[in-house]
Amino acid sequence: MRIIERKRVILFSTLLLFAIAGRAEEWQVPADKEKRTSPYLFDEQMRKKGEDIFKRSCASCHGMPGQGNNIRSLVPIPPDLAEKKVQQQSDGAIFYKITVGRGAMPSFKNSLTEQERWQVVAFLRSFNKDYVQPPLARLVDSAKLRSVKVIPTFDTVQHKVVVLIKAFQKTDTLPLSEAEVSLFVQRYFGNLPIDSVRTTSQNGLVTFNFPTNLPGDSVGNVQLIVKVNHEMFGELEKTYTAKLGVPTIKPPLTEKNAMWNVGKKAPRWLIISYLLVVGTIWFFLIRIILSIRKIKQTGKNPKL
Amino acid sequence: MNVANEKVINDLLRPIGYGKGFLIWMSFLTAALVACLYAYVIQLKVGLGVTGLRDYVSWGIYIANFVFFVATSLIGMLISAVLGLTQIKWASPLARIAEIISLAFAAVAGLVIISDMGRPDRFLYLFFYGRIQSPIIWDVTVVTTYVVISTLLLYLPMIPDIALCRDRLTHVPKWQRKLYEILSVNWQNSENQQRIIRQGVKTLLILIIPVALAIHTVTSWLFAVTHRPGWDSTIFGPYFVTGAFVSGTAAVIIAMYVFRKIYHLEQYITVDLFDKIGKLLVLVSLVYLYFNINEYLVPVYKLKHADAAHLHELFQGRFAVLYWSVQLGGLLLPIILLLFKPMRKPLPLLIVAIFVIIGAWFKRYLIVIPTMQHPFLPIQNVPIEYQIYKPTLIEIAITIAPIILVLMIITVLSKTFPVLPIQEVESHEDN
Repeated sequence: MRIIERKRVILFSTLLLFAIAGRAEEWQVPADKEKRTSPYLFDEQMRKKGEDIFKRSCASCHGMPGQGNNIRSLVPIPPDLAEKKVQQQSDGAIFYKITVGRGAMPSFKNSLTEQERWQVVAFLRSFNKDYVQPPLARLVDSAKLRSVKVIPTFDTVQHKVVVLIKAFQKTDTLPLSEAEVSLFVQRYFGNLPIDSVRTTSQNGLVTFNFPTNLPGDSVGNVQLIVKVNHEMFGELEKTYTAKLGVPTIKPPLTEKNAMWNVGKKAPRWLIISYLLVVGTIWFFLIRIILSIRKIKQTGKNPKL
Repeated sequence: MNVANEKVINDLLRPIGYGKGFLIWMSFLTAALVACLYAYVIQLKVGLGVTGLRDYVSWGIYIANFVFFVATSLIGMLISAVLGLTQIKWASPLARIAEIISLAFAAVAGLVIISDMGRPDRFLYLFFYGRIQSPIIWDVTVVTTYVVISTLLLYLPMIPDIALCRDRLTHVPKWQRKLYEILSVNWQNSENQQRIIRQGVKTLLILIIPVALAIHTVTSWLFAVTHRPGWDSTIFGPYFVTGAFVSGTAAVIIAMYVFRKIYHLEQYITVDLFDKIGKLLVLVSLVYLYFNINEYLVPVYKLKHADAAHLHELFQGRFAVLYWSVQLGGLLLPIILLLFKPMRKPLPLLIVAIFVIIGAWFKRYLIVIPTMQHPFLPIQNVPIEYQIYKPTLIEIAITIAPIILVLMIITVLSKTFPVLPIQEVESHEDN
């Protein structure tokens, strides 16, 4: 009972904490972020893509906008995003909140690209009839983006990843400063962020500390994702393979004889026990069945 | 052979034959069976959608019925083997009734399972593609083995009696005489033949104990190997086995009463025999009560999260009326009543046994269904009929069909062969 009591206290205080967080002052958005506008026109295609993302990543808590099927048992209550309180915020504010998250609301910085986050905003705006999209922000010049070069070096001894970012600036391809670089390792469900987001220095370099105990494939290879984001040059993503992991050989669970395996790969002890038990019982049963024939023969010839 | 024995043989052979009563009773059963089979044809055509079974409750009264059938079939083991091997003499005249009940229930149990299949034509896939790791394969193995053992245990000790039928029942139709001729396998009552039967029966009596325990333990494992509240129990095996003895004993009492009245066997199925089997019913019920207390009190004390929802439904919720009726009316009250000698007289005992056997059936309902209505993940966004299981009329008819089939098998067997082992009764009379 005391354990239950204690659990209740913990549960209660956790809920209280969430409630306090929920009631805390309005979610402040930095002024420059609030003023940001989308570089993309919110057209039907944007809206459709945003809807797909929304269903996948947002609807489980917020419900579909305007339908009031948000989960009200959560603290704070994730608002129905068609609400006026949400819609009167600027595009930049909504974009910022999706990007950084707060409390129970996760950050989508790593899982959605900027364009995808704007698609979600486009979808949300389709529930506001009075909405008029503000002038588009200047989209990054694609030629500029193409000029960005990502040059990683993998130090498998020191377990460090150094990334050099270069881009065409004025007259030549030079190291790019002030670029946000983040590093991930591919895994089955979502990417694993490595170290923290770094910003390139004057010489265009960032250094990530790589964990020493990350399991790789049979020779230790891991798939790395480098994401680069720069205000002027836009964002891009590159994947690499490097021997930074611990070599891991995990035979599939279906390889050996096991309880969960197919019939042919049943545990041997089980097959033996089954056959032994069934065999013994049926040995005697068949003997008894045969003895009935003997009764018959004896009856024909009483001398037997 | 003395005069007394002569009378015994005549009395016990007299019920044999297919009289008017038999024909009326069998036509009634056949008509009812045809009606129920029609329901099954509908299910075959339309699919399991005609039943109350849905995604959550996929095991309904069919499986509850199956468990009940397997349970009741265990009585042959108790009376023939346990009481037989320990030389408890009073029970030996009841051995054949118990074996007939065992055989009928065990043989039909397999059919009950097939009625739960949406595609019964795929039944044989079980043998082609079944996994030896699955308790379902073990269940099929033991049920089949048990049916064979029960058949042999009914047949072997009956050979001398069949020979008596062959020698004495000269007025019966030709095919019936031919049947006795074949089944009595040249029985001459010689020393040699007696020895073969004695040895065979002895082996069977020993074999049937582990096999009978296995059949119902494995049936319980179909539930107990899961994590689900209400099934996730380490005592499910013995809990099922002891429960089986309760319903089986009640079935034997009912059969005893019916045979006694209809076949006029008052002299052989005596009031004293009712008294004794009444006491046996108290004993097995007490053991079952003990397992019930274990099965419910321990989880109630711990009240693990998932168990709590399940137990609440049983004790105070939707199943409370049924649960307490079964536990009090089908178990506790019978125990108390049968402690008094007047209640162990044939008629009161029959009434108690009927309550016990109805309680036993609904107990299986309470074991199978409430658990399925409490999955670990909450039930969301499904129509109401998915959430609350309600058997349909078609489903009920298909559930009744096997019961009719059992009654038919028991009727035919008891009208073709003497329901009491003549030799046993003779030696009883001699004593």
